[in-house]
Amino acid sequence: MSYSCKRITTSRRRFVLSSAALLLAPKASFAQKPRKSAIRFGLTPVFLNDDLQLLSVIRTYLEAATGYKIDLTTRRTYQEVTALLISGQLDAAWICGYPFVKYRTELDLVAVPQWNGKPLYQSYLITKTDRNVTELSDLAGDIHAFSDPNSNSGYLVTMALLHKNELNSETFFEKTLFTYSHRNVIRAVASGLVQSGSVDGYIWEIMREIDPDLVAKTKIIRKSEWFGFPPIATSRQFADSPKIKALKAAFLASNNTEDGRAMLNYLRLSGFTQAPSSLFDPVAQNLKSLKGVL
Amino acid sequence: MRLFGWVGNFSSAVRIPVMVMLLMAAVSIVLSERVLTRLSQNQESYLQGLASSYLDGVAASVSPSILRRDSWEIYDTLLRMKPHKASVLPRETIVTDADDIILASDKPEAHPTLKLMGKAFRGEFKNTQMRLDTTSELAFQMRPISHQGETIGKVYVVFDASSLLQERRDVLLALLLTNGLLTVLLAGVGFLTVRRMVRPMQILESHLKNATSGGLEPISNEEFQKAGRDAKRIFAAFNQLVSAERDREKLVDSLTKEERLACLGRLASGMAHEINNPLGGLLNAIDTLKKHGDRKSVRLQSTDLIRRGLLGIRDVVQATLATYRPERNSRSFTGQDLSDISLLLRPELKSRSQKLKITNQQSLGVFEGLPAGPMRQAIMNLVLNAVKASPDGAEILLAIDQTNNASTFSIIDQGEGLSDPESKILESRQIKGVPDGISGLGLWVVRQIGNEINATFTIRANKPRGTIVTMTVPTQRSEAIDAAA
Repeated sequence: MSYSCKRITTSRRRFVLSSAALLLAPKASFAQKPRKSAIRFGLTPVFLNDDLQLLSVIRTYLEAATGYKIDLTTRRTYQEVTALLISGQLDAAWICGYPFVKYRTELDLVAVPQWNGKPLYQSYLITKTDRNVTELSDLAGDIHAFSDPNSNSGYLVTMALLHKNELNSETFFEKTLFTYSHRNVIRAVASGLVQSGSVDGYIWEIMREIDPDLVAKTKIIRKSEWFGFPPIATSRQFADSPKIKALKAAFLASNNTEDGRAMLNYLRLSGFTQAPSSLFDPVAQNLKSLKGVL
Repeated sequence: MRLFGWVGNFSSAVRIPVMVMLLMAAVSIVLSERVLTRLSQNQESYLQGLASSYLDGVAASVSPSILRRDSWEIYDTLLRMKPHKASVLPRETIVTDADDIILASDKPEAHPTLKLMGKAFRGEFKNTQMRLDTTSELAFQMRPISHQGETIGKVYVVFDASSLLQERRDVLLALLLTNGLLTVLLAGVGFLTVRRMVRPMQILESHLKNATSGGLEPISNEEFQKAGRDAKRIFAAFNQLVSAERDREKLVDSLTKEERLACLGRLASGMAHEINNPLGGLLNAIDTLKKHGDRKSVRLQSTDLIRRGLLGIRDVVQATLATYRPERNSRSFTGQDLSDISLLLRPELKSRSQKLKITNQQSLGVFEGLPAGPMRQAIMNLVLNAVKASPDGAEILLAIDQTNNASTFSIIDQGEGLSDPESKILESRQIKGVPDGISGLGLWVVRQIGNEINATFTIRANKPRGTIVTMTVPTQRSEAIDAAA
């Protein structure tokens, strides 16, 4: 693909995403007029975005650390948050590695969370605890739950694995469905609504602490290779803005204050770090392997 | 009917409370049945409303997801919509497509996704009508979901109706307890009330029972004061009755005494007559002796006449002595007593030109065990009654039959027959007082004597004319004589 073609493709994609963002979030586009003293920060369902206490913890810390008012925006799907971010309606957002890779040219990394001291996480294939299955091939004919079509751990990893094994999700599984939340994938598997699911390993581990009864009904069949942890990204147009600089500094220094540690404790993270975009190359490789399939 | 008959054997103090209790039980059953029926209807209506509201909400919420066949959205919606604090909770909610393929349920393990709904489970639902199964305490309802006039899916809901049925059981228990307590309470009140009401009647009944055994006593002032107004009126009437009866008894005593005096008069009259008859002849004979005593034939004839006259007087005196002599009580009746009766009644018979014929008199022996006095009195009264009833010149027959077991005395007259009250006096042993319509006490005295000597009386017509009164007296031991005397 030539450079010019790539530019055209990128522009078209940018236009589509911007339009989608306008259509999907008209309220946000008017109600969230940029305010001089506010940082508009988006959260994807990578995290437990329906946890009001988490939102409060993040807001409290970031407002204290940046000196800006923090407007938190949550959306149901990754695509919605990504569209808002790319269209400039959000200053920064906590997105998944897959959208970051997908829109790498439009986005810039702010910080990458560290889990157990590393900016890495895995995708888990899970099923019900009482089910006698041990590997991917045992899941043939299942109803399988994905998290989000723009999730790395909750979709892309499993799709790439199937592709690598020369399998097709449409034929390998009886049916696939999206729950638009990793927690919902766990709920769907635990309840028996579906027989298996693809879930963010970090979320599964956190949920095991928060809701052990629910997670105990599921078991891991396969852990994927390590991927770059879902990063905090910003639109390249805001990358050098004072707000983003303040935000980056706040995340990187989150271990230094009480509020920051409270946030990290809540998220079971070690901290935030700066990482090169190459951290997400494995995601990019998966995406590349699925070119023409997705 | 048998129950009522059985209950009827008890006194009013028991019968009426029992009837109140039965009535209350019947009312309780009817009321309970009506209350429970109404409660059931209300509950089913409430359940229907609740189910409709829940199904409306589910149907509206899951319709888009059904079109997309998005099982997760349906499942998530069902969980979010599931009430947790309602009195009737949906236990299971299953959403299927139009062909009963399960898209999602809130219990996916029981109803696996994308499987055909089980026939047995489907059979629990009765079209779109709610069905309440009291055995499993579950309610089943199905609602088709339409989109643009086409059925795109169905919602099946199983409600836990145990709280409603428990409420029914609680209401039933409350009704049973309340009605049971009320029934017992009312029966108790009824018992006490009726007992209080019938108490005067029981007092009256007691006095009347005593009266039949000769103890007719007025109701005391103490009982009088305890009684109510109505009872006082009845008691007053009873006491008046007692007073009247006592007056009547006094009158009867008085009449009896008069009758005895009349009998005595008749006896004295008869004796005077019997003595007076030969007395004229005796005086004439004495006069004859005074004038012509020197003549042997006259002397002999006069003394013979005097002797016969004196013998007649002796007979009369002996008969009187036999009747009233002190030792009569222990003497048994004999054929001689019949002669005495004949002698005593002679003046009465003579005045009516009547004759008394006594059959078998010569062959009669001693009537062992029959007291002479009462027997003579009874037979004499019966013959006197026959004399009175028969026309002048009639013959009255006294037929006597003596066997080992009993003696019968039949008095056959030529009268018009006894009146009903007179017959009743003789035939009924229960006559205590003198019935109305009786002029004399002769028959009543006979009845009293009959009771004493255990005699029975039969009265039948004597063809072509007259009446036969038969007195049958069983042979008695000597102790009975003393008792009867």
